[in-house]
Amino acid sequence: MSGFEARNKVAIVGYAQSPITRHAPVPLGALAVDTARAAISDAGLTVADMDGFVTGSLFPTAGAHEITDGVSIVSANWLAQHLGSDPSYVAGFQGFGQIPGAVAMAVNAVASGAADYVLMHRALHNPRGQYHRNPMTSVSGPLQWTVPQGFFGPISMIALTYNEYVQRYGASREAMAAVLVEARRQGARIPWSYWHDRPLASAEYLNAPLISDPICRYDCDLPVDGVAAFILTSVERAKDLPHRPVFVSGFAAGQPRTRRLPAHWPLEDIMEVGAALARRLWRASGVTVDEVDLPQVYDGFSPFVYFWLECLGYCAVGEAHELALSGGLDADEGGLPVLSGGGALGNGRMHGIPQMLECYLQLSGRAGPRQRRDATVGVACHASPHLGGAVVYTSEPDR
Amino acid sequence: MTAARPLPVPDEQSAPYWQAAAEHTLTMASCSACGALSLPPDSVCASCASTSAGICFTPVSHRGVVRSWTVVRQSFLAGFDDEVPYVLVDVELADQADLRMVARLVNGTAADLRLGAGVRVTFEDVAPGVSIPAFTLDETQ
Repeated sequence: MSGFEARNKVAIVGYAQSPITRHAPVPLGALAVDTARAAISDAGLTVADMDGFVTGSLFPTAGAHEITDGVSIVSANWLAQHLGSDPSYVAGFQGFGQIPGAVAMAVNAVASGAADYVLMHRALHNPRGQYHRNPMTSVSGPLQWTVPQGFFGPISMIALTYNEYVQRYGASREAMAAVLVEARRQGARIPWSYWHDRPLASAEYLNAPLISDPICRYDCDLPVDGVAAFILTSVERAKDLPHRPVFVSGFAAGQPRTRRLPAHWPLEDIMEVGAALARRLWRASGVTVDEVDLPQVYDGFSPFVYFWLECLGYCAVGEAHELALSGGLDADEGGLPVLSGGGALGNGRMHGIPQMLECYLQLSGRAGPRQRRDATVGVACHASPHLGGAVVYTSEPDR
Repeated sequence: MTAARPLPVPDEQSAPYWQAAAEHTLTMASCSACGALSLPPDSVCASCASTSAGICFTPVSHRGVVRSWTVVRQSFLAGFDDEVPYVLVDVELADQADLRMVARLVNGTAADLRLGAGVRVTFEDVAPGVSIPAFTLDETQ
């Protein structure tokens, strides 16, 4: 790569976040339109100004739920059409790490001139019935290599990965309890969070029955209905808009070499590919790990907190659990603010949105009573380090 | 009513694999150009990049070591509701570095497991003519 020429040339200039609920009172598409309109208004713009729309619309269920645009997913095309827009650029990100992936598409669209004002959104749905339960009695295609053996769905997937970590490094449930307590403590302060005013006691975590050893329900984010939207535009256009812009410094995604069975995410794949992702991220953004004030790691399953911390270089491989156990992730007490935005565990299954939103709110000075001092560089991670991605944001591109 | 375990539907590529499994032989896709093994079978060889990787299936040693495991206590497949709790093992097969397979361990949840524990392949006969690979602890390794 010859260098990331769009570094700090595209910025977030507005946002909106819907309430995060178990089941929204309106269809997901209606919630998305309301949230998109609020974000456009927040940025001081009108629907007519918006000429780019991007998202990653994956419905991450292993169940047999129907996938219907505007109901269980909201594509960029659906949203543009239902806003009555006449856009010049509409695109959807395929694969994992939808948030970094969609942000990258928005940045590329603005930097290339394909669009002037891009709306990036993410809509997540919680269907009626169990989220991952599947009644299949026969199996064809890729799942025939795993399902007949009873290996199915993301809980056993992450359980195999995490147990390898536990066995190899001696990680305790007490250490992970500290991760959950921090996520829920921070999430409890966030008005739109499903877990608002509902912190979690360590004992409650430790007493929870296991679903797939060593994973219990609290290690998994809760399926929700929720939509977030962000507006991105060029540095020049951002100068005329009401809020302090937050610049995209760079992004990187994981791309594993090794082909695997469905839902097989071996620890060594995550760590090897994640380390490569981190190297590309620092190179693209021109930032080093020491300069990051807000390392917003992904936590859709709690073990990802350890994996991201180790891949990004906050501690040695195998030592993140020790950092957690010693209070090193307690943002109120001077620990790393990795879950200061509550993450997915403290908000609900909004994928990488809580991480991105926390970077935006803190760096734009819009975090209200949660505002942290002197935060100028953030990293927002999403999904597993080997399949997902990360974005570096800054409020001070000339620092 | 109890749902039945999901049964594989063999396709053009996987038919030899499931036929061999029915005879209690574990096979792996073997590249026609270089012989590298792969699971799942692929159309392009991960080792030599040949596009004739997923055509032939060859019997393997039936031995491996445990790389990780989990005890499944809640099934998300209706057909496994009556099976919980059960153990899944992530196994590196002895035939090729990093050749991995995930299947049930038939020794029960009290099995004395550790990273690197030896296992060998066994089969669960789940329906007439349908056998599913699984693993059993092998202390001789």
